[in-house]
Amino acid sequence: MEYFSHSWLPYIYLYGIGGIFFFSGVYIVWRTGAIDLKKPHHRMWMKIFFFGYAWFMAIHGLLTIFALR
Amino acid sequence: MVVYFLTIMLFGTYFGRYTKDTSDFFFGGRRFSWWLITMSIVATGVGSHSFVKYSAKGFEHGFSSSMTYLNDWFFVPFFMFGWLPIIVYSKVRSIPEYFEKRFNPSARFLATVLLLLYMIGYIGIGFLTLGKAVIPMLPEAFHIFGITMDVSLMRAIVVIAVITGAYITFGGQTAVIFTDLLQGFILIFAGFMLFAIGIAYVGGGQAFWDLLPTTWKLPLANFNEPSSFNFVGIFWQDAVAGSVGFLFMNQGLLMRFMACKNVNEGRKAAAINILFVLPLSAVVVGNAGWLGKAISTLSPDIISPNTSPDEIFVVVASIVTSPGVFGFVMAALTAALMSTVDTLINATAAIFVNDVYRPLMKYFRKSHSDSKARDKAELFAARLTSIAITAAGVLSVLAFVQFPTVYEAHGYFHSTLTPPLVVAIFMGVFWKKFSPAGVITTFLGGVVLMIIGARYPEMFISPFDHGIEMNPNRPYSYIRALYNLVVCVGVGLFVTYTSSLQNRFITWVRNTNKGQPVMMLITTSATIAFFLLVFGITTFELYYPVIVILFVPLIVTYFGHYDEELATNGLTVWSIAAAKAAFKGSTPNEQLGEKIEVKFKLLDNDFDKVLFSKNDLSRMAAEVGDLVYLSDKRKWLGGLKSIHSEYGEPHDEEGVVYINRDHMDHGLFDEGKSLIAEKEM
Repeated sequence: MEYFSHSWLPYIYLYGIGGIFFFSGVYIVWRTGAIDLKKPHHRMWMKIFFFGYAWFMAIHGLLTIFALR
Repeated sequence: MVVYFLTIMLFGTYFGRYTKDTSDFFFGGRRFSWWLITMSIVATGVGSHSFVKYSAKGFEHGFSSSMTYLNDWFFVPFFMFGWLPIIVYSKVRSIPEYFEKRFNPSARFLATVLLLLYMIGYIGIGFLTLGKAVIPMLPEAFHIFGITMDVSLMRAIVVIAVITGAYITFGGQTAVIFTDLLQGFILIFAGFMLFAIGIAYVGGGQAFWDLLPTTWKLPLANFNEPSSFNFVGIFWQDAVAGSVGFLFMNQGLLMRFMACKNVNEGRKAAAINILFVLPLSAVVVGNAGWLGKAISTLSPDIISPNTSPDEIFVVVASIVTSPGVFGFVMAALTAALMSTVDTLINATAAIFVNDVYRPLMKYFRKSHSDSKARDKAELFAARLTSIAITAAGVLSVLAFVQFPTVYEAHGYFHSTLTPPLVVAIFMGVFWKKFSPAGVITTFLGGVVLMIIGARYPEMFISPFDHGIEMNPNRPYSYIRALYNLVVCVGVGLFVTYTSSLQNRFITWVRNTNKGQPVMMLITTSATIAFFLLVFGITTFELYYPVIVILFVPLIVTYFGHYDEELATNGLTVWSIAAAKAAFKGSTPNEQLGEKIEVKFKLLDNDFDKVLFSKNDLSRMAAEVGDLVYLSDKRKWLGGLKSIHSEYGEPHDEEGVVYINRDHMDHGLFDEGKSLIAEKEM
């Protein structure tokens, strides 16, 4: 695939390895009780975490699709 | 630009009136709303990466110049629910102080040395960038009263340093926050204005898009080439080491979050900044480079493809804007850089006062017993330190002038000094078993392995290179961060998992009459090995790291005392609730209550308690002894006029809060104005 090493390969690496760090972080703060899902504002923060991950995936993904069109 | 600099200096020094003690000087009194901190962080974040650097990368490589602004989210959960509550609730004033609480004074000493070196060097890089940005716009010489003064890089830097040093020395953190707030708005406006004018210049959005080659439009760089700008190297250097460094180790940024009125406001400031402001900032700092590429494709005679990347920002701004607008854009550029430097100076002064001045005063028993007199002396020391650090920053520029570009000088610092501290903080916060032996060996052993890696990159760094070609002049500029992180983490894991062996050895040493000489021999060997390696004595140098990594944990275990239960309580992510209880001094009250509006009346006492009516207390779901935040009703002040205090015994006068003269002075409350009260915990 043309430009693969310049587009989807770094994308997969970024959200794959980056995702390992991110989801480990989410798991650790949940496991340790630092984020308490019984509290409404902590539940909101959990949603914001996942929104943020999806947000950046979408920005990079859409820019890549538009660039390759 | 002269008018701009004078305005900023006056604006900053004005906020000196809000600085009453060291808490105000360094943390702005822990009073601000999230939106104010978010905007003030813009100027700090953008400045630290600079228009010049990212426009250069945008010109050479396109939209992938934005990579470093869009990769900070991965460590946000660790930061928001791990590090941020710990530093706020444990009431540490600096990162090294955390190391003493969590480990021991030796760990604090090493962290102080590494952090001061890092930050003074960073200030030097900031001044160097500022000087390089300003020099092309200045004449070769000034003629004042018949005297001719040649303009040189160092002279320009000294003038900038005097201006920056002045408002920080008098204004402190509040001045930094408000000047950065103003500069944040200015530079975002200037950046988008330049982009809009530039797009119109090339014939509109579609024309701009069509002029860029495909590879310039891609948001991520090529995976592993060229060696000077590749995705995988920058991922490890910036997304991992840089992001953790930015969130966990940047004392300037942490002080901003600590200036928020509470932990949740700090989280909001961080989230809005990373999710929305950083992507906008990526456009602000990189667009001149993208426009430069489009213009050079359209008219190579206007902008040659061979234009020096470092000059592209000034070239594009001068072509697409009129003279008046150009001056404004250049003022915004210097604003961005100045904002980074002022934050760093204030933060470095905080570290010096907290981790050098205070311990020394305590050691020599010169500390005032009266807390007000002590605070006055410390505030004076903080102001003197700001001047001294500004001067040290200017001097450190001399060390970086030799680097071919600012980008490389910056990269050198990030990859060299960040990993040991980043790994030490991270393992300290998230791993209870991580002990003083582990952290001190991570510092010292990590440094020696990093030195070995720098000397023999083909042998040690190439296994991590992901296929990146080694440039013999600057081997593995970015991917070396992966090697440095791996060796630091490796040392930490090795020492922690072998702690039972170390303890057995130390028990044997303590039980034998040859223990003392054995430990002397071990200490001497480790010290000699460390310094031989640092000073470049290459005989048997591959053995030196082994000696350091094996012997340092034994020395720390033998000479130190460590109680894991005591040292980790409230200082790791596993005990945030304990940290919160320690902050309050009793069990936190987690019941949700309302915010209420009250009028204040003065009481003639000096107790740090504010008194509400029984009904108001009940509406806030508060009890006597809980913590309260009182602020001026005007939201646009962002908490500038506010205080923290404790609920005292209630009265029956509804809608009224009794405060004392100290509260009124500290909060700068205006008589007759309403206040908003809310329970903190």
